[in-house]
Amino acid sequence: MPNNIVKVRITEQAFDPALELSAFGAGRQDTGALANFVGYCRDMTAGRRVGELTIEQYPGFTEREITRLANQVSRELGTLDLMVVHRVGAIRPGEAIVLVAALAAHRNAAFEAVRLLMDYLKTDAPLWKKESGPDGVRWIEPSAHDHARRDQAKEKSGEKV
Amino acid sequence: MKLVFLGRFRELAGARLSDVPLPAGVRTLQGLQDWLARTEPDLAVALTGARTQVAINQTLVRDPAYPIGDRDEIAFLPPMSGG
Repeated sequence: MPNNIVKVRITEQAFDPALELSAFGAGRQDTGALANFVGYCRDMTAGRRVGELTIEQYPGFTEREITRLANQVSRELGTLDLMVVHRVGAIRPGEAIVLVAALAAHRNAAFEAVRLLMDYLKTDAPLWKKESGPDGVRWIEPSAHDHARRDQAKEKSGEKV
Repeated sequence: MKLVFLGRFRELAGARLSDVPLPAGVRTLQGLQDWLARTEPDLAVALTGARTQVAINQTLVRDPAYPIGDRDEIAFLPPMSGG
């Protein structure tokens, strides 16, 4: 049985989710399910027009922390490979911000892993988002809803992240 | 020591605080926060938010008594928002 791989990539370049997925899990024969999620930059949010989103990282720390969160999810849900690609820098509406993909033997673990990892990323990934548009510039912080979701997910899994 | 301010904290701190000699008498995280409150009151207020986190040498630290030396990298992290 091949080793399970957790692959995290932080990139300043635009990426093509389909291309990233094309080689994911290649060569494995124990995979029963692949689930994935792609988050995109929207041109409108809460009634404001978005010209550009800028995401800042803390180099080194950010990749390590996301890897830690992904490993946690992999252990909790018993997935096979996990992949995270996250943009940083200046992002235009229509471009992909984040790709999360999970391989598992069965569909439920794959679906759950993607959802749980996204919940963790929303509140625990060391990334900082700034939105700019005709109405000005504002830093975005996770909502109470995001924190509630994350706490709920944590409680459900019974683990400390 | 090296101070790192991320996100909106960086905009408040500018570049003036990135490399500063360890202030006299500062030995712990709490000591550093007290020093910031005296020398950079506006920034210090912003840093006291409930969801601000601190990383020392790229490890999250919660203990105010955590020791700080002149070769350390101390980062102040606003609430995180990935995904």
